[in-house]
Amino acid sequence: MNTKRKAATVAVAGTAAGALGLGLLAMPAGAESAPELPEIEAQELVGSVLKAQPPAMSGTATVDNELGLPSVPGMPALDAQSARVYYDGEGRGRVAMEQQSSELTYVLGEREFWSYDSAAGTATRAELPDGAREQHRNQEAAGADPSQVATQVVDRLEESSNVSVDGTARVAGRAAYELVLTPKPDERTLVREVRVAVDSEERLPLRMSVLTHGTTEPAFEAGFSEIEFGPQPERLFEFSPPEGTEVTEREPGRNGGPQHGGDAEGPEFDVAGDGWDTVLLGRIPSEMREGAESNGTDMTGMLERFGKPVQGEFGSGHVVETRIGTALITEDGRIAAGAVPEQVLRQALENR
Amino acid sequence: MEVMTEPARRTAPVSRLVRAELRWIFRRPRTLAVLGLLGVIPVIMGIALAVADPTGSSSPGEGPGAGEGGGLLATAAGSVLVLPIAALTMTLRMLLPLAAAMAGADALAGETATGTLRGWLLAPVSRGRLLLVKALGVATFTLVAATMIAVTGAVTALVLNGADTLYTLSGTTLSIPDALGRIALAVGWVTLQLWAVGAVALAISAFTEHPMVVLASVLGGIIVFTVLGSLDALSWLHPVLLTEAWWAIVDVLRDPIPDADLIGGALKAACYLVIGLSIAYARLVSKDG
Amino acid sequence: MTAQAESAVAGPSPEGPATAASTRGLRKTYGRTVAVEHVDLDVPEGAVLGMLGPNGSGKTTTIRMLLGLVQPTDGDVQLLGHPMPDRAAEALPDVGALVEGPGFHPFLSGRENLLRLAAAEPRLTSGRIPAAVDEALERVGLTRAGGRRYRGYSLGMKQRLGLAAALLVPRRLVMLDEPTNGLDPAGTREIRSVIADLHRDGVTVLVSSHLLAEVEATCTHVAVMNEGTLVAQGDLTELLESESPALEVSTTDSAAAVTALRAAHLSARPTPDGVRAELTRATAPDVVATLVDAGVPVYEARRSRTGLEDLFARLTQDSEEAPTWRS
Repeated sequence: MNTKRKAATVAVAGTAAGALGLGLLAMPAGAESAPELPEIEAQELVGSVLKAQPPAMSGTATVDNELGLPSVPGMPALDAQSARVYYDGEGRGRVAMEQQSSELTYVLGEREFWSYDSAAGTATRAELPDGAREQHRNQEAAGADPSQVATQVVDRLEESSNVSVDGTARVAGRAAYELVLTPKPDERTLVREVRVAVDSEERLPLRMSVLTHGTTEPAFEAGFSEIEFGPQPERLFEFSPPEGTEVTEREPGRNGGPQHGGDAEGPEFDVAGDGWDTVLLGRIPSEMREGAESNGTDMTGMLERFGKPVQGEFGSGHVVETRIGTALITEDGRIAAGAVPEQVLRQALENR
Repeated sequence: MEVMTEPARRTAPVSRLVRAELRWIFRRPRTLAVLGLLGVIPVIMGIALAVADPTGSSSPGEGPGAGEGGGLLATAAGSVLVLPIAALTMTLRMLLPLAAAMAGADALAGETATGTLRGWLLAPVSRGRLLLVKALGVATFTLVAATMIAVTGAVTALVLNGADTLYTLSGTTLSIPDALGRIALAVGWVTLQLWAVGAVALAISAFTEHPMVVLASVLGGIIVFTVLGSLDALSWLHPVLLTEAWWAIVDVLRDPIPDADLIGGALKAACYLVIGLSIAYARLVSKDG
Repeated sequence: MTAQAESAVAGPSPEGPATAASTRGLRKTYGRTVAVEHVDLDVPEGAVLGMLGPNGSGKTTTIRMLLGLVQPTDGDVQLLGHPMPDRAAEALPDVGALVEGPGFHPFLSGRENLLRLAAAEPRLTSGRIPAAVDEALERVGLTRAGGRRYRGYSLGMKQRLGLAAALLVPRRLVMLDEPTNGLDPAGTREIRSVIADLHRDGVTVLVSSHLLAEVEATCTHVAVMNEGTLVAQGDLTELLESESPALEVSTTDSAAAVTALRAAHLSARPTPDGVRAELTRATAPDVVATLVDAGVPVYEARRSRTGLEDLFARLTQDSEEAPTWRS
């Protein structure tokens, strides 16, 4: 009897402790209560964000999209689980986008920009134009008074949105203000509101969420799941490719930022409308369409899988809808896209 | 302390029991066969990758290198550091947990079936000590199994690629001590995961005298966990699944090492370890021998 | 049931010799099945106690509870003065046991198997282990086969290796569950001689068996189990003597013998080669004198051996499973 009771005690206690541990591990990090912070005006907050120089830091940024779009093969940017970001506070940085078993690394160094793909074993190097970083550093000096810029920015925003500070939040363990942009009622957009969490001390945007009508869960959210401010090791901002890596040199000055894609010319865009119902209009260059086909990406096939065929005064094409945006691609390669319902895109195409 | 007051020793020293247990484990033909098999896997992987010569093939997201683990295999072909870790990652999906389950199955169920467990209980070895010795035996075996893979993986990669290819997925090149440290970290982390599997196997093993039941349960558990892990609708359940932590091992190949998932996975394994061992203990002390 | 057990002659007496093992009110149930009930067993120190009973009578379960392998549902167990199974650590080092057949690893040699068991023996220092193993192997005649894999052992060798394991260290009590199972007559004799040696050295031995001849040949005490209960226990000679003593007389004139005895108010009945006289009211010399006086030719007179066989048959007659007999 005694033994049985002891056995039962051990079994229950051990299992409970283990289960409790698992429960704690499974608990979402966002369960902490919102911090108490001094009140702040939207304009002041925007101003401080514009003025702030991002300090040296490291963190993990995650993108969480509930766009309602199946993942598309060949589009690595969205299927990245998360990205680790390192910044030295002086314009040099490293971004590592983690795939399950490989990594895309981007290093912005003193004089060069590197990208490295571990799965393919290839690297690209671009030399930065002289003074590129000085320019970056002097931006503050060159630009106008930040508070004045802030006023301008907020004014511009307020033409189409209500800008407010709506409470506080804790993001990656940091206290943050929640800046909320709500489209004005006459804006024809899918977006209900955009929330930006701004670190209360460093005034760095920590998270951006896009909410659409009818749901409480963000349709799109990008932000830090972990962040730590402080100096970073020097070696992170230098890169020398491993032996055996295929290195492609890129012309200096072009495509300075981390971008994925081939060397094909990017599509050229035009804008229709303003505010939230801005529609991007463009034309997919023919060589890109052909290039895509020769790459094995069947553009038309993909459109047929994810889009629905539409017809109208603009001709015929396919519409691809997600929860925060819509794109219309016509048979002859014209493209219209925006955070708007399909109808707005049709009009924009027809009014050309 | 009790032992001090007794004129004659009432129980054999644990170290002696552990030595006897290890001698038994590593004398068993099945153990040696499994270790041999595990040791050969990285060699086969390395040679296959070298023969297939994947350099130049496949850009991300397409070609034969695409899909889970494909990128890792492509990298493994050229890096001394990556091959042992890639071999650990592949075998951690199924073979290593099964090896741990086998050790756990033989430790209690197998010994009950042959009637040999009784010999130690009558010596006497108290049931708590028996579990301790058995757990240490399983722990040692899993450590040896993981080390075996890492060592043959590293040696194979050294022979195929030479020592100057110690680069990470982030494209940085490591010093030899740093690379060895990372391989050791990977072995340690994988071993901890296997201890969790082994503890659960011991718990099942304490309930049955058929070793195959233990193996089948662990195999079934891994399959069920993998299926649950692949269902997005059950994402709330995923942080609890042991198998969901196992991809984190790839993080030792990134530079700097992102430690969050590794630490989370280690803590998760510790939780399973506690649950498994406490159930095994409870069953063993109340069980008829 | 308790009454029945105690009705047996030479039941436990509080003033009696010290017991090496004893149970009181022992009971074990598996679900609804009652395996053992109301067992008050006493194993006197220095005795060789034969535990008899048909298969399934609860012998092995009782032994497993004595050894602390099985937790009793109810009742107390004392082993060498220590309550079991709580104080197993104190009692078991002095107890050697072979329970439910030998259990060894087939891929190890006999010697390696013993080394593994010896590692767990508290009484052995690490340095003594190899010598102790060799001595135990020698004692059961396995010195030459010790290096061979257990897999290749014959049934008899396996049994002897099990015995060797029980005798790794000098014990105060040795429990052997069916030790002669699968042994040829020579092997059985060897086991008997080992038991005799142990007895001579003052070691208490508990042997369970369903072979009556074996028990009769080696034991000083018996305990008889049937259907989970202890139906009799005590000194073997006393138990047998208590069974209606009789004198078997060989004579050519059995009719005259019966008449003469009955005339002297002694109960008697004819047998194929003479007459059988009950000794309840007379002694053997009385019977012989009566017959001689009556002029009946007496060729031979001997105490009848009711034998364990008769006793056992009477005690377990309700059992469906007949015990195995062997002479």
